[in-house]
Amino acid sequence: MPDPTAAAFELTHRPVLVPVALTSPCIALLPLPEGTVIQILGPAARVEDVCAITDATGFSLRGNGPGQWFAVGDEPDKFAELAATLPDGFTAIDQSHGRVRIAIEGESVGEVLAKGTGVDLALFETGRAATTLIGHVATHLARISDDRFELLVTRSFAENVWDDLKIMAAEYLGVSHE
Amino acid sequence: MASLISCPHCGIRPKEEYAIKGAALPRPAPDAPRSVWFDHVFLRDNPRGPYEEYWHHAGGCRRWLIVTRDTATHEVLACRDAGAEPAVTA
Amino acid sequence: MSSYRLSAGGLIDRATSLSFTFDGRDYAGHDGDTLASALLANGRRLVGRSFKYHRPRGIVAAGSAEPNALVTIGRGGRTEPNTRATMQELYAGLEARSQNRWPSLDFDLGSLNGLFSPFLGAGFYYKTFMWPGALWEKLYEPLIRRAAGLGQATREADPDRYEKTWAHCDLLVVGSGPAGLTAALTAGRAGLRVILADEQFAFGGSLLSESARIDGMAAPDYAARCVEELRSLPSVRLLSRTTVIGWYDSNVFGAVERAQKHVAMPKGHRPLERFWRIAAKHALLATGAEERPLLFGGNDIPGVMLAGAMRSYLNRYGVAPGRRVAIATTNDSGYALARDLERAGVDLVAIIDSRTQPTISYHGRARVMSGARVTDARGGKSLSGLTVAVGGRSETLAVDALAMAGGFSPIIHLACHRGGKPVWAEEKHAFLAPQDLDGVTLAGSVTGAAGIAACLADGAAQARTVAAALGKKAAHIRADVEDDVVAAPQPPLFSLSGVKGKAFVDFQNDVHVADLGLAVREGFGHVELAKRYTTTGMATDQGKLSNANAISLLAQAHGVSPAEVGTTTFRPFYTPVSFGALTGAARGKHFQPVRKSPLHEWAAKNGAVFVEAGLWYRSSWFPRTGETGWRESVDREVLTVRAAAGLCDVSTLGKIEISGRDAATFLDRVYCNGFAKLPVGKARYGLMLREDGMIYDDGTTSRLSENRYFMTTTTAYAAGVMSHLEFCAQVLWPDLDVQMASVTDQWAQLAIAGPQSRAILQKIVDEELSEEAFGFLAAREVSLFGGRLNGLLFRISFSGELAYELAVPAGYGESVADALMAVGEAHGICAYGVEALNVLRIEKGFVTHSEINGTVTPADIGLGRMVSRTKTDFIGKAMLAREGLSDPVRLKLVGVMPLDPAASFQPGSHILREGEEATLENDQGYATSAGYSPHLKSTIGLALVVGGAERHGEQVMIWNNLRQQYTPGRICDPVFLSAAKGGQGA
Repeated sequence: MPDPTAAAFELTHRPVLVPVALTSPCIALLPLPEGTVIQILGPAARVEDVCAITDATGFSLRGNGPGQWFAVGDEPDKFAELAATLPDGFTAIDQSHGRVRIAIEGESVGEVLAKGTGVDLALFETGRAATTLIGHVATHLARISDDRFELLVTRSFAENVWDDLKIMAAEYLGVSHE
Repeated sequence: MASLISCPHCGIRPKEEYAIKGAALPRPAPDAPRSVWFDHVFLRDNPRGPYEEYWHHAGGCRRWLIVTRDTATHEVLACRDAGAEPAVTA
Repeated sequence: MSSYRLSAGGLIDRATSLSFTFDGRDYAGHDGDTLASALLANGRRLVGRSFKYHRPRGIVAAGSAEPNALVTIGRGGRTEPNTRATMQELYAGLEARSQNRWPSLDFDLGSLNGLFSPFLGAGFYYKTFMWPGALWEKLYEPLIRRAAGLGQATREADPDRYEKTWAHCDLLVVGSGPAGLTAALTAGRAGLRVILADEQFAFGGSLLSESARIDGMAAPDYAARCVEELRSLPSVRLLSRTTVIGWYDSNVFGAVERAQKHVAMPKGHRPLERFWRIAAKHALLATGAEERPLLFGGNDIPGVMLAGAMRSYLNRYGVAPGRRVAIATTNDSGYALARDLERAGVDLVAIIDSRTQPTISYHGRARVMSGARVTDARGGKSLSGLTVAVGGRSETLAVDALAMAGGFSPIIHLACHRGGKPVWAEEKHAFLAPQDLDGVTLAGSVTGAAGIAACLADGAAQARTVAAALGKKAAHIRADVEDDVVAAPQPPLFSLSGVKGKAFVDFQNDVHVADLGLAVREGFGHVELAKRYTTTGMATDQGKLSNANAISLLAQAHGVSPAEVGTTTFRPFYTPVSFGALTGAARGKHFQPVRKSPLHEWAAKNGAVFVEAGLWYRSSWFPRTGETGWRESVDREVLTVRAAAGLCDVSTLGKIEISGRDAATFLDRVYCNGFAKLPVGKARYGLMLREDGMIYDDGTTSRLSENRYFMTTTTAYAAGVMSHLEFCAQVLWPDLDVQMASVTDQWAQLAIAGPQSRAILQKIVDEELSEEAFGFLAAREVSLFGGRLNGLLFRISFSGELAYELAVPAGYGESVADALMAVGEAHGICAYGVEALNVLRIEKGFVTHSEINGTVTPADIGLGRMVSRTKTDFIGKAMLAREGLSDPVRLKLVGVMPLDPAASFQPGSHILREGEEATLENDQGYATSAGYSPHLKSTIGLALVVGGAERHGEQVMIWNNLRQQYTPGRICDPVFLSAAKGGQGA
């Protein structure tokens, strides 16, 4: 029984990052759309079951330690669709608002990320994903291709990580964004 | 303190990603004698040499690990998932 | 008589002219110069004053061991004191100033200290300034600090950027001299991931100063060819201007790259310095050896320098050290310099060889004095002559430059950083690195090897061994060397008979031979004691040139081998590291991460004043126009919440979703109160204990469906509780089927409190919110705005008023808060911050971590009845039964108020009985929280006090020792405002 004011209220979604990319010939920082991010927990051994579901629903599946995954997609509000198809023994948690995606790509991507993470990126092949510290903030890192990574950051830290990335990339962007 | 710890799930990571809890000791049974509980909560050995400790990969996979560390040399001798074995005494 | 630039030679670009200033005077140098070589080329030999006696000092070394030539570079925020002129690359516009002199370098009044030198010997701090003790801080220390010292740091902010980075490799090679180059090349060709780090701006190490020929080419050309090939190998990374400063656990090395220390105006988008953490599977230390100074009177006079350094200035920089030069040597290495000086046309007067039978044949023109040694040098600010003892008599020589070739000490610092002790090698007359280091190999002259050929071969051979251990096969590298001077190690020269002047051991700290003798006589002869008593080796150069001589002197005084004296401990850093490099990017707003609530912008546009709570920025209060102080705003917010309604951002509370078949059992074990019977759709306040029985955290947990729970934690303990629950689930009870995820960031959470809260919420919530439909502690998913959004609604209160907490997807948080403010306007809603939140909860006696501070049990705060008597197990159960926890003298929660409502007190103030002295024995407890209640028109507070409720009504003294404040007060019930409609613990 909503009030007329409330019924007429224009409900707006505020993305945490301004969707403007920073680019140079050797590096690009790209805020990605706040689509759907789903945390999946379940038996590590049944990874194929999860893959089957995410493949069928058009999500990209990324590992996050034993029995933990993130399913990510650009479209919003797809949580229910995936959650409904998840087999018994798995739990899906909607993190679409709790996590923010940032892509970083270009030939200098390894040099830039090495300023934040202690992961040996030369051994972190395409397709690998894991949580690591970028500076002080736990960040989920996925290697999409040789020179493209995607970061998944908790919303409250997203602005901070974005600012840190700008500093880390400054020498390759050719400008100081401070 | 060790600069790097090799997580059984994530591989080699800097120590900043981990948080230490303390000695890896099994929790006594709820009805264990009072003296056992006192020892568990308040008494710790302080050995020189290998020592097993609970470490949390808080900045990584968030698994609890048992790290075997040499208290004299800081060398990490082993690191395994803490959930793989019972931590509660019968 | 002075140093000068030769007309040809050297690795400098004579086509360039770089102008620079030293103490305001204009000079010029070339690309490829260091500040030191440029000063020498300009005839400037006096570059500093010594630490204690203010003696004139010149350039002694050509690398990072330089003890004397410390200058201040730059101006303003870029001022860098104590820069070694030998490590500073020359650039156009460089400004350098000498240090520790007044009024000028050439005329320094502080040099009068030399006259008082009998009183300034070893341990003078402890002897001269002992009594009266009261004068130490006010008189002696400032006096000593002014007289003795180095450069002054600037007080301006550093305008440049610093950063840290990681690197990973199979093999880290430290040093790019002959051994380092062949090692890097061998490993790189074999496909290993190699990092080659060198502290100089050019790679090649000693080869850059070498006149020998390798494979038919000049040594620097050979080095350049190696570097060119290394650059072409994709798995090799070259780091120049990078000093490896420490070896740490897990074979991680710290290194500092001086990325822009060689330019006048650093570029803002690049760091000035970069701190590297290099994780190396293996490291090869090709760090070379340091030449030892000789001990004779006046061995610190400008014009006296190390032979190797003189050779560097000559061959690499094209600088002659003087017009009439002598070489004092104990070994064959002095003859390599002799050959090069004569080739360059410099007048070499004499070679003063301590040996009676030199082992090298010399065909030059200089007079060779065998079995001779320098006893004293003459000259004030510039060397003018020598006294030489030869064949039982004394002879004087007129020279303006003297080279000291006292043998070599391997640079084993890094190899000893993890606790390994250096080992004395009698046949090498030197301390070597400990044997069989894990993860580290040494190659070249750092092992005591002599000669270029030996070093080239050793580097390659050691790298082959490392490659083999890492599963790679590497090819040999062979090189032919012509004119290689292989100086066999000789015993150090320590005859001091006939020496008249001060013979310096530690140039930088002004420690001379007599100081060490005094230390031994006064019982401070142990190497560690002598170091501290005399301060030898304690300067910024950490004894790079002095330690070997100091140890030999102590050994001589004790009549034992240096092996028995041992060394002091080598610790990181190898060379001084700037605070900027250690700080990296973590400064200013990047000092620590900033965490923002999804309602941050909502709070900002409503005028919030933010406060840092951990990493979070929380809205503290919301001032309105006309309000004159924070208290006025807070009072209004508190009164508005109790009279109408308020909206507060509580998104920072930790939120954890817990699910699984055994979730109820799990919650029963982690909370001390029961949760198994919590019905679906209900919330319950819970207390989590630590295993010792003390309260760990509190919060509410709601059962959203049969096996799905939503837990909230306090803001401060959100991360800790999550880790704790993971520990319980993974380690203590892995058999339970329970999963959990932090959803703190997924939800924006809004507290809507006050008598109007239901009416306001009902305007946006689609479901019925009447008392019957959504009673106290109801917790359900709700539909909002006519089905446009779903949220979680909880009927919980932290103010004692009718109140709710609404969680909505974070991206919509701001919009929902805007909506509530809009529909609530007619109901008198206001935004309130954590200050008002605090007052509201103190008025009702609700606790936060101010009270549950790790020393209290549930019973201590009046919640003892919550603890389950029936559960067989929960965290903290066993220890909660300790008899000490029921001791009547335990501190218990009470309220406290000042007798005078206009008076106030601070949390942390102690409670004393009326009329009792403020002593530890009389302490009755302490105030944990305090705030001004606009309802009671008085400061009110909560306190933990002996006896607790028994003492309600008692008059006490509230004592704040920091402010020397005594406030008469009264203990009372912690619930200041009655008729609570439920809340904590209810």
